[in-house]
Amino acid sequence: MGAFQWLMKKITKVFGRSTNALFYTLLYREILKEVNEITNNEEESLIILREIGKRSAYESCERHSSIFKFMPGNPKKVLDYFEILWVVVFGRELEDYTYEEIPKEESKYNDYILKIKNCPICAGYGQDKEDSFDFNKVKDDKSEGLACGLCGMLESVANFILKTKRNDYRIQIVEQKCIARGGECLQFICKIHDYKEWKELISSRTEERISTGIYFEESLEEEEIVQETKLDIIDKLQDVISIDKLEEYLDEPLESIKERVSDIIRDKLNMEPEHFFDYFRNYEDDMIRIIGYLGTHILNEYGGFLEKLLKNEWFAKVFGYLFKQLKEMTLLFIPLDVIRDYNNLLVSFLDNLAPPEMVENVKLFTGKDTVNFLFEGAQIALENFGIDFSELKENVWEELKVERENGLISSDISTIDKTREKVPQIISIIQEFLMIINDILTLPIRILISESHYGLKTAINSVVSEEEGLYGSIRERFDNIFDQIQEIRK
Amino acid sequence: MNFSRKELIETDATMNQMRNAIYILTRLMEKNGISDSKDHLRRMGQNIAKTYINYWQPTNIVTINNIKDVITTIYQKVMNSVVSLEINELEREIRVQDYKCALCKYQYADIEIAGCEILLGLISEFISLISKESSDPSSITLEPYKVNESRAYGNKSCIQIFKYKIGKEG
Repeated sequence: MGAFQWLMKKITKVFGRSTNALFYTLLYREILKEVNEITNNEEESLIILREIGKRSAYESCERHSSIFKFMPGNPKKVLDYFEILWVVVFGRELEDYTYEEIPKEESKYNDYILKIKNCPICAGYGQDKEDSFDFNKVKDDKSEGLACGLCGMLESVANFILKTKRNDYRIQIVEQKCIARGGECLQFICKIHDYKEWKELISSRTEERISTGIYFEESLEEEEIVQETKLDIIDKLQDVISIDKLEEYLDEPLESIKERVSDIIRDKLNMEPEHFFDYFRNYEDDMIRIIGYLGTHILNEYGGFLEKLLKNEWFAKVFGYLFKQLKEMTLLFIPLDVIRDYNNLLVSFLDNLAPPEMVENVKLFTGKDTVNFLFEGAQIALENFGIDFSELKENVWEELKVERENGLISSDISTIDKTREKVPQIISIIQEFLMIINDILTLPIRILISESHYGLKTAINSVVSEEEGLYGSIRERFDNIFDQIQEIRK
Repeated sequence: MNFSRKELIETDATMNQMRNAIYILTRLMEKNGISDSKDHLRRMGQNIAKTYINYWQPTNIVTINNIKDVITTIYQKVMNSVVSLEINELEREIRVQDYKCALCKYQYADIEIAGCEILLGLISEFISLISKESSDPSSITLEPYKVNESRAYGNKSCIQIFKYKIGKEG
């Protein structure tokens, strides 16, 4: 799984509002039963449940549309990211599945069949008295199964991404096999349609829905096709920093990255890189501050996550505290050689990209200067996001959570107690971040050594393998951080 | 072999889409002539409790001494919600306040029902089922009373109120 697939999954999982999965499944069942009470027809109920799933996911997508702007805009790639769709929709990992491509002649895209061994929606269906929706009454072989609502959700999210990316193709996802209906697994077929085919499909679906006699609102599908989303800075940047492309960047060595940066400057700013960097000649320190400042703001471009996070006073304090520690630690504990390596990396990056005079000026900076400039820029950005550095003080306290003997959770928990309960998780998060920083700080040496031979990715994975190397180590630490955040949010 | 319901208890699922689905369902109910959608939502909660208790229950006895802790535990384990509770012994009412109700978040102009009506049904049924199995004469039974405030009504938190009875009093 790619780094960004993993990151997206983690983010959507941690920041969604979760409940126990059994509650989710039983609520889903009850919705179907209520629909069936309206229709009195099992086959029609499944059609309506799919529509409910579709509309509910569309509503969520519209609320958080910015997160989808970094997703790939090609139907095939959207399907490659099915695991993310599953996590976005269902909030849990997609495990034990197979993926098969079915060649489709005279069509730009093939069909895909996805077989999922374990279906959480069907889990244990039929074992309890309340599982009263009777699948034996579903006679039509073309009817979907219990996961039809989930199917509607998946289809809606996939097509929302395509719409956001202004792609004319749409994806149809249909449940072909259902465990609750006796199938050996949950099986979806995913078909990619062009505009004309899709229009025909949605009009036949609308007719099918109308034939049920169940009153629904206006058709969602028509809106999907004609609606335009507004263009913003993220749209303009999409071509450059789409998630799938970032994976490609990691495969390229430093020289190729420089070439790409040059191309971006030429394409987007219509000027030669040398002219661009010439603007900063004799203001090299400000340029480095701007890198720190912009770097922090770019982090925030991912759905405004950083800004939203720092609106919370408690998180702002923790983050500010962490930043302060990082700033001090970097200069206190990191060997100057390592800091110098970073400086050399910057010089190597600017060489042949910026005017020679500027490169010479940057060479005059000590590693310590560069680090300080970067932190100064980042600090200004963090102040913009709401961290008041003047109010920060040191708080290091830990208290283990005490379990009660009867297993019940006390109802008399004060706000202070609630905060204290979160302290172990917060401390763990800080520790993990510090460990990540240590891991990352070894990177420039590896990059400089391996640049001419293997490129950036080799450097990142230079220990043993992708899982055991630096990338694996950082990923593991972020896994821990996400777990702790999830605990705090509970 | 598919997941079992017992296994599902060990994991969490994201509610965002399902929360929306509840409101789409209530809209569907109202557009199709169902006037008592509140009762339907409560019944959904009761049915969920009837199944859920086959796989997990917080305790075997619910009395006035532990009712607050039992309800807090159910909210936390089932809904991942941290709630605050007040008992009004005079009115025989339990008031539960939830600032992050999993079933209510947004206010809809065309809907005048809160998703947490489902929780009124769920919690009261859960407690009543435990008490039904218990031989303790001071066991508590709970009945849904009303959703007093809800984020779905534009309030800052959801406040669910239950009526309770001790033993066989009636």
